[in-house]
Amino acid sequence: MLELDGLSKKFKQFYAVKSLNMFVERGEIIGLLGPNGAGKSTAISMISSLAEPTAGDVRYNNKSILKKPGEFRKIVGMVPQEIALYTDLTAEENLQFFGRMYRLKGSILKKRIQEILDLVGLADRKKDVVQTFSGGMKRRLNIGVALLHDPELLIMDEPTVGIDPQSRNYILETVKRLNKERAMTVIYTSHYMEEVEFLCDRIYIMDQGNLIASGTNEEIKRILSSEKTISIKSDQLNEQFIAMLQEHPLVNRVMSTDKEITLMVAKEVSMFGDLTKLAETAGIELTSVHNKTPTLEDVFLHLTGRALRD
Amino acid sequence: MIGQIIKKQALVLIRNPVQLLLLVGLPIILILILGVALSSFMNGESPTIQVKLGIVEQEQEDAQLERFSEDKKGELPPAVLNQLDDILPIQRLKEDVFGSDEAAKYITLEEISPLDKEKVLDDNTYTALIEVPDNFTYEILEYSLLGEENQPSLQLFTNTEHQLGVSIVDGILKQFQEQLTLQTFLQEEAINPENLEENLQNVTADVLTLDQQVPISSKDYYTVGMAVMNVLFIASAIGSIAFLEKNIFVFDRIILANVSRWVYFVGILLSGMLFAFLHLVIIFGFSWIVFGVTWPNLLGFTFVTTAYAVAVGGIAVLLTALSYRLHSEVITNFFSNILVSLMALLGGSFFPLGDSSAFIATLGNLTPNGAGMSAYITLLRGNELSDVTDHVAFLLLFGFVSIVIAAWSFPKRGAAL
Repeated sequence: MLELDGLSKKFKQFYAVKSLNMFVERGEIIGLLGPNGAGKSTAISMISSLAEPTAGDVRYNNKSILKKPGEFRKIVGMVPQEIALYTDLTAEENLQFFGRMYRLKGSILKKRIQEILDLVGLADRKKDVVQTFSGGMKRRLNIGVALLHDPELLIMDEPTVGIDPQSRNYILETVKRLNKERAMTVIYTSHYMEEVEFLCDRIYIMDQGNLIASGTNEEIKRILSSEKTISIKSDQLNEQFIAMLQEHPLVNRVMSTDKEITLMVAKEVSMFGDLTKLAETAGIELTSVHNKTPTLEDVFLHLTGRALRD
Repeated sequence: MIGQIIKKQALVLIRNPVQLLLLVGLPIILILILGVALSSFMNGESPTIQVKLGIVEQEQEDAQLERFSEDKKGELPPAVLNQLDDILPIQRLKEDVFGSDEAAKYITLEEISPLDKEKVLDDNTYTALIEVPDNFTYEILEYSLLGEENQPSLQLFTNTEHQLGVSIVDGILKQFQEQLTLQTFLQEEAINPENLEENLQNVTADVLTLDQQVPISSKDYYTVGMAVMNVLFIASAIGSIAFLEKNIFVFDRIILANVSRWVYFVGILLSGMLFAFLHLVIIFGFSWIVFGVTWPNLLGFTFVTTAYAVAVGGIAVLLTALSYRLHSEVITNFFSNILVSLMALLGGSFFPLGDSSAFIATLGNLTPNGAGMSAYITLLRGNELSDVTDHVAFLLLFGFVSIVIAAWSFPKRGAAL
């Protein structure tokens, strides 16, 4: 359905996206995962025909969309990362305006607006101006606008940033439903690996403009087949303990937060004895040590040495 | 589609009370403040400036006239000598100039005896004292009718503490002097002294034409001044809304809906024009109801308002295009925070700056608000539409050039480019 061939975007000497190759089959949910600044939004802008690539091509049904994007735009719905709505207008007025932009009118537009309001759960708030909405409601309406013309392909750029878990779940479930019930193809960008793991059939992982891994969830996790992840928790974690772990010859990578340290070690290595001794030396008491099932976060750490949310 | 864009712009503006207050409320408040505060400077009907003026004649004019008639019997035809009573300069200065209804509203002329001259000069209540020297009328008649080289002059003593009054008296005297010189010129050109009276009447008639213009009150002036200035903020308001649309990716959404960028462009342009037109109609309508500012020529008013609305629409779309091109609102902010004030100053919105120099007047008329202001003031004075065609043509040309530059610089794809 959609194919990206060596897509690059260069700003002066800096590559925001470098030689991105990707394909999307009809009915798939594709995840584009990466930390902030990875180049996901720039890639999305080029895929949606809003930005012109410095090099490469985007093909829809084997036809380049770069010169004549008109036909492609008819089947694309775009959910930008920003709340692209008029906050001084009501939910209904926003849908009316964008519906008219999509050349919907009369009873068809009216019916479509009602369907969208029901879908995003805002039917009872349709007469309220958007600035009175919560962050989650704004995000849902933001998605609703992109669905007005019933697109085949929905491109969502970090659609759950800054909202409460309830609204987040609502959005994720809605995306799943659209994909299942209407066979809608979805390109979903996020830096939340659990969202991508939950939603996506295939995943592309980007970092600093480069594609660093791609495949299904399981295929990507297999990258970690030679390693395992150990999670250490303590209320007293200190610099000395972290430094000792980093210097330990059997530890491949260390990632720490206030109360948790994640280690990556070779699969056959047993670290429990060493960890206890190191904790004693550093004068801390460990509350838990356990082997973790690898996540996409671990894959990203393995590939880049950094956490997704760094 | 364009209608939807205009409707949406209108809703966004209307739902923003602060912006609405600034766009409509502010000019009305400014008209009230400036119109009342500065009415004494501009309102001819109720002047507060009072000029007390003295005139000292060192020799009575009748005696000089009698002597002149006797001395020049052989040199001038009897018909001219018989009409000299009608053109006595000091009598005309006292009765026709300072004694006119218009001047009498703010100038009180007192005839002072030569003996009291020093006393008046010491009296601070007098704004100025005109001294007519010995033989002044005799020499003026010689200069005017017989081409004598020496033109006598009046002496003006002024009170430096009454600068405004002094400048009024000085201006009137200079005008009077010019009229006397003009009479001489006509006399020389006409050659036949019999035509002198007819020529003098023509001069008087010319002056009357100027006086027939409807005077402009301070409220008239500031209604126009504030309206033409504040309507420029419509352009920056629309530019700001458009830039926000770019920033929050609404513009991208519109482009992705396969709406031509030119539809959006025309939507912005027409919004600017329509809102500017409505803004002007609201401000002038309010001034008509509250201040009684009426337009003698409604067709001319509509014509100028339309042309000015085109210019404002051009600015709106130019600001939009430049901010899209530069990915920054700095140009719109610069326009609304600095350029509007500067243009308003040059265009004469705060006071008639152009009166101080022809260069500044020309410069002012090269701003859209200045051209609009000149056109409106000309119409308010009772002139015809044909008298403002230059300004209207300039406004239309300004709008056209702005639109062309905006179209050239408008981004080709989405804002994310």
